[in-house]
Amino acid sequence: MRFADLLRFAWQVLDGNRSRTALILLAMGIGVAAVVAVSAIGEGARLYVVNQFGSLGTNLVIILPGRSETTGAMPGVLLGKTPRDLTLDDALALKRSPAVLRVAPLVVGAGDVRVGSRSRESSVLGTTAEFIQVRQMDLAQGLFLPSGDPRHGQPVCVVGATVAAELFGARPALGEWLRIGDRRFRIVGVLARQGQSLGFNTDEIVVIPLAAAQALFNTEALFRVLVEAKSREQIVPAREDLEEILRLRHEGERDVTVISQDAVLATFDRILRTLTLVVGGIAAISLAVAGILVMNVMLIAVTQRRREIGLLKALGATGATIRAAFFTEAVLLALGGAACGLAAGRLGQLALGQALPGVPFAAPWWALLAAPLTAILTAVLFTVLPARRAAALDPVAALSKR
Amino acid sequence: MIRLSGIERVDRDGGEEVHALRGVDLAIGRAEYLSIMGPSGSGKSTLLNVLGLLDRPSAGRYLLDGRDVTGLGDDELARVRRETIGFVFQFFHLVPRLSAAQNVELPMVLAGIAAEERQRRLARLLADYGLAERAGHRPDQLSGGQCQRVAIARAMAMAPRLILADEPTGNLDRHTGQEVMKVLERVHHDGGTVIVVTHDPEIGARAQRRIRMVDGEIAEDRRSDGG
Repeated sequence: MRFADLLRFAWQVLDGNRSRTALILLAMGIGVAAVVAVSAIGEGARLYVVNQFGSLGTNLVIILPGRSETTGAMPGVLLGKTPRDLTLDDALALKRSPAVLRVAPLVVGAGDVRVGSRSRESSVLGTTAEFIQVRQMDLAQGLFLPSGDPRHGQPVCVVGATVAAELFGARPALGEWLRIGDRRFRIVGVLARQGQSLGFNTDEIVVIPLAAAQALFNTEALFRVLVEAKSREQIVPAREDLEEILRLRHEGERDVTVISQDAVLATFDRILRTLTLVVGGIAAISLAVAGILVMNVMLIAVTQRRREIGLLKALGATGATIRAAFFTEAVLLALGGAACGLAAGRLGQLALGQALPGVPFAAPWWALLAAPLTAILTAVLFTVLPARRAAALDPVAALSKR
Repeated sequence: MIRLSGIERVDRDGGEEVHALRGVDLAIGRAEYLSIMGPSGSGKSTLLNVLGLLDRPSAGRYLLDGRDVTGLGDDELARVRRETIGFVFQFFHLVPRLSAAQNVELPMVLAGIAAEERQRRLARLLADYGLAERAGHRPDQLSGGQCQRVAIARAMAMAPRLILADEPTGNLDRHTGQEVMKVLERVHHDGGTVIVVTHDPEIGARAQRRIRMVDGEIAEDRRSDGG
């Protein structure tokens, strides 16, 4: 039997039993769609987390004052001991490490930002020129803080997109003056809109030079020091250097916490990737169920079509031809089901994307490949038994029964 | 064309052995028209199934066109059936979802004949058996006589040398039965070997050679000279 005829023959069977065909297509489709949709959710979650970390800047090492560790009876609290502050000199000393590319010390506070009669409560960030590169932020207009001696800040600032829009409306903000507390700053740059990033909205900040912020908030202590390692490989040596430099500067005391987003990110990435695989696998079980349905229907078909199979054998069909006919039917069903499922999964993915625009839902390539393959494989696998039974049918017995 | 010697066929029905055929010797020449009659259970259908290579004899030898087909494998038997033998059944056994034309085409499809060649042969078969106008109808839209004509056209699709008909008129009224027999007899006139199993004496009497089976043996083998 020619392949084209085999296809046509199987098509005629499927066309002749439409409700049965529709049922199997539905089952197969649901299975494939489930795998696609579920893995798209998992992959979306993974990419979301990765992007969130990525927007913090790559190769980033963050230093926090104080050390989070659990000891006997919280001695720090009992003895009234507070962790030693991180200072600008600490931050500048970190540049001695050969693994460190940039250092951005950070002071954070809240201030009343005023332009004329308009006023707005806003986060105020004091930092240095290197901050924008470390955090990988973009400017919409103008320049970032000028580089220069961090101990002497000029009265300039860079504002977030929302702040600029709220305070100036449609007017250009660049070059204008604003007041924070009792100090005046000239706006030299406007940040590009970036949105929420790990709970911190960079559209609603005002960035001023570190020295100005220290004066404004009357503090020497740094909130954080952001350090950019020279490369991904340099993150670990950089961490070691930072801890050692600060230990020496703090009289042998290890009183800072060093976080590298790299390790956290890798862990999240691994967990979410595994999770996606697992839930995809669970969804694939529905495909196996669909496979069993195929087997059931095929077994019924062998009984229902006993006479036809007997006739085909009498007309000279070999066992291989009969088997091929059944497998062709199963594969056609699987292909049809997979196509329906992929389409439905894609629709589901688009719907999810509409509902949660922030999460990049996308079925990973392996799911798009594995789902149809699994569908075909289960269909073929579960057709082996019915096909063999059909091929082994005795034509005389099959034809004699009415 | 056909030479059977010492053909036995033992069926197991539960624990009991049933001798369907007991040492049948039979020689059938080319272009013979032969009827096999006999009461139910006499083995006439079994004999036809053995002749048609649908059943294997338990013992004995079967030469078809001088070739021993007794020991052939299933696939080889299927090939011989496809190329040499055409079957006509009592219940027509048409595939219900296929049109008359598609039913007639089926053996050629199974034989892997190219589509253009099939169409050519199909057109001639449909014309020969007066089915051209009914080509697109499905079996449930055809009368019994038309169904059997479709079945005969299907049997002739591969131009076999041997036509085996098992009670071809058993499911038809007398008049339609006679017409179907005339179609079969035309195949015989065109040089085919036709073997008809029937329990209807009137149908059986039409053949030139008449075999009567009793208890799995040939009880009578008569020829008339006229036909």
